[in-house]
Amino acid sequence: MVYKKKWSMAMSMLLAGSLVLTACSGGNNAPSNQTGTDGQAQTGDNGGEAPVELVWYTIGTPQKDLAKVNEEINKYTLEKINATVKMNMLDWGEYSQKLQVMTASGEAMDIMFTASWAFDYVQSARKGAFMPINDLLESHGQGILDVLDPAFLEGSKVDGVNYGVPANKELPAQEVWRFNQQLVDKYDLDISQVSTLESLEPLLKTIKENEPNITPLAIAKDFMPLAGYDYLIEKMPMAVKLDSEDYKVVNILETPEMKKELQTMRKFYQAGYIPTEVATLDTMQDALNAGTWFTDRAATQPFADNLWSASLGYPVVSTPASEPTIYNWSVMGSMQAISANSKHPEKAMEFLNLLNTDPVLRNMVDSGIEGVHFNKVGDNVAENLPESKNYDMPTFSLGNVLLTYLNPEDPENKWDEFRTFNEAGVPSPILGFNFDTSSVTTEIASLQNVKEEFWSAIMTGTVDPEEYTAKAIEKFKAAGLDRVMEEAQRQLDEWAANQ
Amino acid sequence: MKIGRFFRDIYRNKAMLLFVMPATIWFICFSYLPMAGVIIAFKQYRYHTDGFLASIIHSAWVGWDNFKFLFSTQDAYIITRNTVLYNAVFIILGLIMSVAMAIILSEIVNKRLAKFFQTGMFLPHFLSWVIVGYFVFSFLSYDKGVVNQFFGYMGWDLRQWYNDPTYWPLILVLVNVWKTVGYSSVVYLAAIMGIDKSLYEAAMIDGANKWQQIRRITIPMLVPLMTILTLLAIGKIFYADFGLFYQVPRDSGTLYSVTNVIDTYVYRGLKLTGEIGMSTAAGLYQSVVGFVLVITSNYVVRKFNKDNALF
Repeated sequence: MVYKKKWSMAMSMLLAGSLVLTACSGGNNAPSNQTGTDGQAQTGDNGGEAPVELVWYTIGTPQKDLAKVNEEINKYTLEKINATVKMNMLDWGEYSQKLQVMTASGEAMDIMFTASWAFDYVQSARKGAFMPINDLLESHGQGILDVLDPAFLEGSKVDGVNYGVPANKELPAQEVWRFNQQLVDKYDLDISQVSTLESLEPLLKTIKENEPNITPLAIAKDFMPLAGYDYLIEKMPMAVKLDSEDYKVVNILETPEMKKELQTMRKFYQAGYIPTEVATLDTMQDALNAGTWFTDRAATQPFADNLWSASLGYPVVSTPASEPTIYNWSVMGSMQAISANSKHPEKAMEFLNLLNTDPVLRNMVDSGIEGVHFNKVGDNVAENLPESKNYDMPTFSLGNVLLTYLNPEDPENKWDEFRTFNEAGVPSPILGFNFDTSSVTTEIASLQNVKEEFWSAIMTGTVDPEEYTAKAIEKFKAAGLDRVMEEAQRQLDEWAANQ
Repeated sequence: MKIGRFFRDIYRNKAMLLFVMPATIWFICFSYLPMAGVIIAFKQYRYHTDGFLASIIHSAWVGWDNFKFLFSTQDAYIITRNTVLYNAVFIILGLIMSVAMAIILSEIVNKRLAKFFQTGMFLPHFLSWVIVGYFVFSFLSYDKGVVNQFFGYMGWDLRQWYNDPTYWPLILVLVNVWKTVGYSSVVYLAAIMGIDKSLYEAAMIDGANKWQQIRRITIPMLVPLMTILTLLAIGKIFYADFGLFYQVPRDSGTLYSVTNVIDTYVYRGLKLTGEIGMSTAAGLYQSVVGFVLVITSNYVVRKFNKDNALF
């Protein structure tokens, strides 16, 4: 009997112990909830209402001085909107995955970065990660509605509802051919004649013949020739022609435009203008840094040449490769969304409103503390101090870019040029249409695998386009491409009828 | 009365039970409790504002739909074949190589030298596959790789290694053996060290040479350990080493016919949509097959020798 008693106690202790452990493992959100209630316990002096702490996750390499700047930001926001933020940064490579896990497990968050390319905005919105913000924008985000080009909000609707506040920045996407100016000057090349891929040929030939150590066309595995189509899902073969009026979904590999471009790519590859191992190259950044390249293609924005020249340390010039076009992905290039489980959606929207309209807060978030990280040298001009290396944030990801201070070397009319650029953009015919893949997820997973197998090799000219596109098309069909295209066409027609 | 016996047993073994308690708690928390999550494999997982459990409860049942993508295409055959065959080769070759290495190491008289070799072989185990991938790349790169430099020097045609699937089965097996043999041979080496030295002395008195000693003493003494480790490896035959098959061939599309395995297929298929239900389904499928294989092979081992079986 004595044994029994002792042991039942030991057993219950074991049980209690494991309970504690489970609580620890399952209760990651407990501490953040705590801060919420703590915050409420303090009695703020702003009208007696307790200040709220907003948890904010954003993308980028975590910065050394983040906590220090965060403190300053809180002083400012506490005064302005009676709220503080807890800024969290997750590095580029891990952001999407971590956010997916955190949302799936219901972690307490208020604001998070999302985009077409990070923590997939449309998919996450459909899965219920974000709070619909249309009403909140009306009630607490009037400032955002005033400053933002309406095309941003229109283009970032998912099934007719807005889930994120797009950053006010360049609206259309325009591709340009970039050139290493030293080489352009050396051989006296005329880049103004360049527009299509094919028109590059004589220039590439000159470089190849005279500069054996230079990569003439410095592209990596993500390169795709421009064929004048917009893709329903990025890098999947379903596409709609940019000047289309009938909204016909086609397989890009079967279009005459793409076929012609691929022939050119193959020709370039065989001529040695493209790196031999392009299909497995992640980036050509090394060649860019070393200046051992001649041309490549990049997305531009006003005064981009200056930016590139400054970051590479030698002059870069460019000439357009495509018209400025407003795509879904260019509209959704950078957004801040409010989490579906946020306890303080109104405050979160107030904060986003302030971030997008208040230059002081916007620049503090972007560049740090005045006098420590930067010095103001004009009305909207600031120069970086040495300390700024400890607080170097990705400007485009943190709301209204047009509010940020100019660098001393920037042209004064920079932001005006941005507005002009935005107005010049031509909307893609399917701007605002987002393919809902939930009824074809099985097919998408299979297609994705086929795409990974063939895409880079075909698009970079590594393999014979005739032979391999035929193979790829056959495999795409076997994986269910026809069914997906049918479903896409049905959704697109339905969407177009409501426009 | 039986219950009383049970508690008496526990009391008698309390020291031992306390020893295993941390591991038990760990397993309950991180292996048994999460098992309930397999129901996600049968759901279309959608987020709910009330947290994880609410999300599971409110997500719609979809039956076996999440499993379909694993079997729906012609790739299904390729990925299953690649996964099972590669792993079978790894198990067999790994066993032979590591036992051989362990025996050789144990026979080296100069202990300092033996330690040096052992450490050298152990080192690759600590390298991540990303680094190994670049290491292999420095050999196989088209214009700067060691192999092609050599080919050029000999006047042979340069090869585009990353576009030609022919040699990749061999390359992958070589790389895997190189990376894992050091680690597994240590386990066997430890077992060899534990063999009673008097057995060898007796054999030597009877006139047995080195080879006979190895064949008649060392290997038979290692068989139980070999069986157990092989059984455990068979349980993982449906799990491919993601890093080996993704990083080392540099995710080159033209090599997929020989490098695509279940894990890389699942990753590539789901990285876009991030459907948790489908990845859970893939994991469940791998575990169930692994479970069945372990039970069957354990059953077979039991038939031959009861002592060597796992359970």
